[in-house]
Amino acid sequence: MVLVLAIGDLHIPHRAPDLPAKFKSMLVPGKIQHILCTGNLCIKEVHDYLKSLSPDLHITRGEYDEDVRYPENKTLMIGQFKLGLCHGHQIVPWGDLDSLAMLQRQLDVDILVTGHTHQFKAYKHEGGVVINPGSATGAYSSITYDVNPSFVLMDIDGLRVVVYVYELIDGEVKVDKIDFKKTATTQSAH
Amino acid sequence: MSTAAAVEASSMPRKRFSGLRGVRWRIDLGILPSSPSASIDDLRRVTADTRRRYASLRRRLLIDHHPPKDGDASPDLTVDNPLSQNPDSNWGRFFRNAELRKMVDQDLTRLYPEHHGYFQTPLCQAMLRRILSLWCLQHPEYGYRQGMHELLAPIVYVLHVDLDHLLQVQKPYEDCFNDEFDGITSPENNLFSNYKVKRASDWDSGIETENTHHIMSDGRSLDEIDPDTRDILLLSDSYGAEGELGVILSKKFMEHDAYCMLDNLMDGAQGVVAMASFFSPVVGSSTNLPPVIEASSALYHLLSIVDPFLHAHLVELEVEPQYFALRWLRVLFGREFCLEDVLVIWDEMFSSSNCRLIGDDVEYNFKVLCSPRGAFIAALAVSMLLYLRSSLLATETATTCLQRLLNFPQNPDTKKLIEKAKSFQELALVSNIVPSSSQRDSNKGRFRVSSGYSLPSGSAFPVPPLHVVPDSYWEEKWRVLHKDEELGEQSNSDQGSAKKKLAEKLSLYRTKSEPLKAKSALNQSSIRQILFDDVSSDIGAVENHVTSACCEAPINSNNLNVGDFPVVLADQRSSDWIGDETLLSGDNSVVVSKFVYPHDIGNEHEIDSVKSSVTSNSFLSDNDEETFNMEEPCSQNVSNELAQDAEATSSHVADAVPDQRETPIHWKSFAGIFQWFWKFGRGSNEASRESQSSSDARHTNKDSFDTTTCEGTDNSCGVNKRIEVGDKKMIHTLRNLGQSMLENIQVIETVFQQEKGKFDSLDNLSNNILGVKGQSTAITLKELRKVSNLLQEM
Repeated sequence: MVLVLAIGDLHIPHRAPDLPAKFKSMLVPGKIQHILCTGNLCIKEVHDYLKSLSPDLHITRGEYDEDVRYPENKTLMIGQFKLGLCHGHQIVPWGDLDSLAMLQRQLDVDILVTGHTHQFKAYKHEGGVVINPGSATGAYSSITYDVNPSFVLMDIDGLRVVVYVYELIDGEVKVDKIDFKKTATTQSAH
Repeated sequence: MSTAAAVEASSMPRKRFSGLRGVRWRIDLGILPSSPSASIDDLRRVTADTRRRYASLRRRLLIDHHPPKDGDASPDLTVDNPLSQNPDSNWGRFFRNAELRKMVDQDLTRLYPEHHGYFQTPLCQAMLRRILSLWCLQHPEYGYRQGMHELLAPIVYVLHVDLDHLLQVQKPYEDCFNDEFDGITSPENNLFSNYKVKRASDWDSGIETENTHHIMSDGRSLDEIDPDTRDILLLSDSYGAEGELGVILSKKFMEHDAYCMLDNLMDGAQGVVAMASFFSPVVGSSTNLPPVIEASSALYHLLSIVDPFLHAHLVELEVEPQYFALRWLRVLFGREFCLEDVLVIWDEMFSSSNCRLIGDDVEYNFKVLCSPRGAFIAALAVSMLLYLRSSLLATETATTCLQRLLNFPQNPDTKKLIEKAKSFQELALVSNIVPSSSQRDSNKGRFRVSSGYSLPSGSAFPVPPLHVVPDSYWEEKWRVLHKDEELGEQSNSDQGSAKKKLAEKLSLYRTKSEPLKAKSALNQSSIRQILFDDVSSDIGAVENHVTSACCEAPINSNNLNVGDFPVVLADQRSSDWIGDETLLSGDNSVVVSKFVYPHDIGNEHEIDSVKSSVTSNSFLSDNDEETFNMEEPCSQNVSNELAQDAEATSSHVADAVPDQRETPIHWKSFAGIFQWFWKFGRGSNEASRESQSSSDARHTNKDSFDTTTCEGTDNSCGVNKRIEVGDKKMIHTLRNLGQSMLENIQVIETVFQQEKGKFDSLDNLSNNILGVKGQSTAITLKELRKVSNLLQEM
């Protein structure tokens, strides 16, 4: 019953002033145990805000982040799952599944969380799950202007992870859910 | 060997299953049928039913928020996602449950650390947590409050002890119970159960195998065993009615049983005392107080009956009862005694029934005292206070006093405490009832209680010392009795209203004298009427909610008069009031039983006293339980009744109350006289002016709490009483009244002088009060003189 928030690419204050109000009202402290932030916050205030949501905050460096001390990659263990975190601008081509799979094998994680494309994606891939939470503020990306604000909440419960996707479409919050199961022996998702 | 059972059998009279606390408590709490004819099978069936209910409850509430299968009709995700703000969502519930469990855990980790071997084991903690969470989920209006775990802990403990006991009893008979046939044991018989401290693996009740050294002779049928043991064995026979679910002493279902017991304890099982109400800040419907505050006042009320001196002392220190009583009541003294003592106390407490003893139409003072169990709780609290009496009396400040109270000594003599409590229990029950024979009477009774508590708030108010009684208090006088109105009220009474009343009172005094003079030419009856009217208005009833039509004025004044007393008393030590119980000689002995502020002074009783030339030590007993048949115009009948009542109460009180001061007597009787006047007037359906003056006098009298004589009043009372008979006597009465008033005035004046000197030694509050009163007293005294002169001339 561990709730993990995957969020990133906010680009505050350069490309967006703040999180959408509806998202902000949903993100209350006390419910979420971990936060995985892909990067590009960009300023310290956003870092502090995320820190207030949960004490356990993991950030990797995006190319526009003002704090240079964030790592490029991060891995951590939550429950039975190994999670990996990376911004994604290092993986070329951006958003390419095979390249991301390479990174996943490299980090040896079950769940890889990357961003940079500002598009939500969730793949079950060979050995694991690749999740892209998109941009929480809907900031434009290098690729496209048509971005819906989105973020991801993972509910890790034993060998099962339920991925809730929150998207703001036309001013309404839409929620979607994806189930992934990890088989204990083969270490592969689903 | 059934040593325990044998012991139980020998003590007569004994209750069923007295050796098994768990069963006994379940019977007392209303879970199991309590009729002695209930068979074992009945008990088993009831037990099985309760357990089924709990199991279904548990299944329902401890839901898994994950839908079991992915393909299910998935709930609306906008509602059911973890971040949903929607309170109805599964996730919302999940988070609330998680918070609840966190709160419960906080308390559980600190539960009975000295018995850590049992209570701190993970298994036990998990069980307690589950039970408490489920109960709180089932009763969302209460939520979880600290202290509920302390109520649950002894329950679980006794169930656990019962199982131990069962083991003991079963030992010699295990051959009967193990499923060993042909020397071949079945697999489940190899399970051991070990109740000593460690959690036990599951075992089927009634079936166990242990390494025994002795083998019982076979062929011993159940009939040969003594009844207690047999009962116990039948209770735990897994092949009896309802099978294992019906085994009354079962480890498997300990959680279910504990939950049922907790539930019944909290709900009160349709009885009066519902522990859950003690945790709730919601005000009771009939009172405006949270039940626990009301119960605290109830115990103070009882204390004031039993030991007015201590009560006065506590009140003077401004030690509100709920400061310490909150903890006592909420966990039923679980924190004040060690676990073994608590079990003994709870035995006693649960054995008192929780049924409401008084009818719906009878007015009562405190809801909690309506049942024997509630009365026992209050009585035990009082006996605990008495246990600490000397050290409490020695404390000078509220802090030290509370320190003493909140650190109850480690090893008190529990037996003695319980015995004392039992003796007070009856008193508590009786004192709770207010006579409802007449509105007025009930009002008076009402006063008694309410005024009793005007002191605490009164002393808290710097300015209006005289009037602590709030408006609503007066209203209630006239209605059906409410018990603790004043308790809550007084503390909340607004000063404004009090001041207003005071001002009114004082001003009325002045005005009264005018009309009195003007009406000297009127005939007696009219004068009387006027007097009565004045008195009623004067005494301070700002609102006269007169309900009875014809006797409005008298009633008002009556009540008013009574009401005055608490006010006055507020300033004085209540201890002074604890009337001595001096029985008046003569057929009408009036005893002052001072358990609460004087209030009614038992007007009715007063009448009795009037007969005899009572010495200063005549008090009116104001026991509520007496039915004041005020309506009876016939004084004789009434007085006789009252006398008997008074005697009864006085004797009762005499036992409880130690020697008292005399001072309050005077004005009490004086007040009583005035009250009697009311009756008098009422009987003749006239209000007499005298009452006015007498009320004046009485008012001034209030100041003098150490008046030394009330002979005058007594005489007047006696005189007045006789007059009631007819008009002709009225004149005589009035004359006598005038005389007595004069005497009283003299007395008052002397007392007043004394008071002034005496008050210097009192705390500032009293002094202030006296200062205020002094002036009014002087004025009223003058007026009284005039009135009395007037009367004498008649």
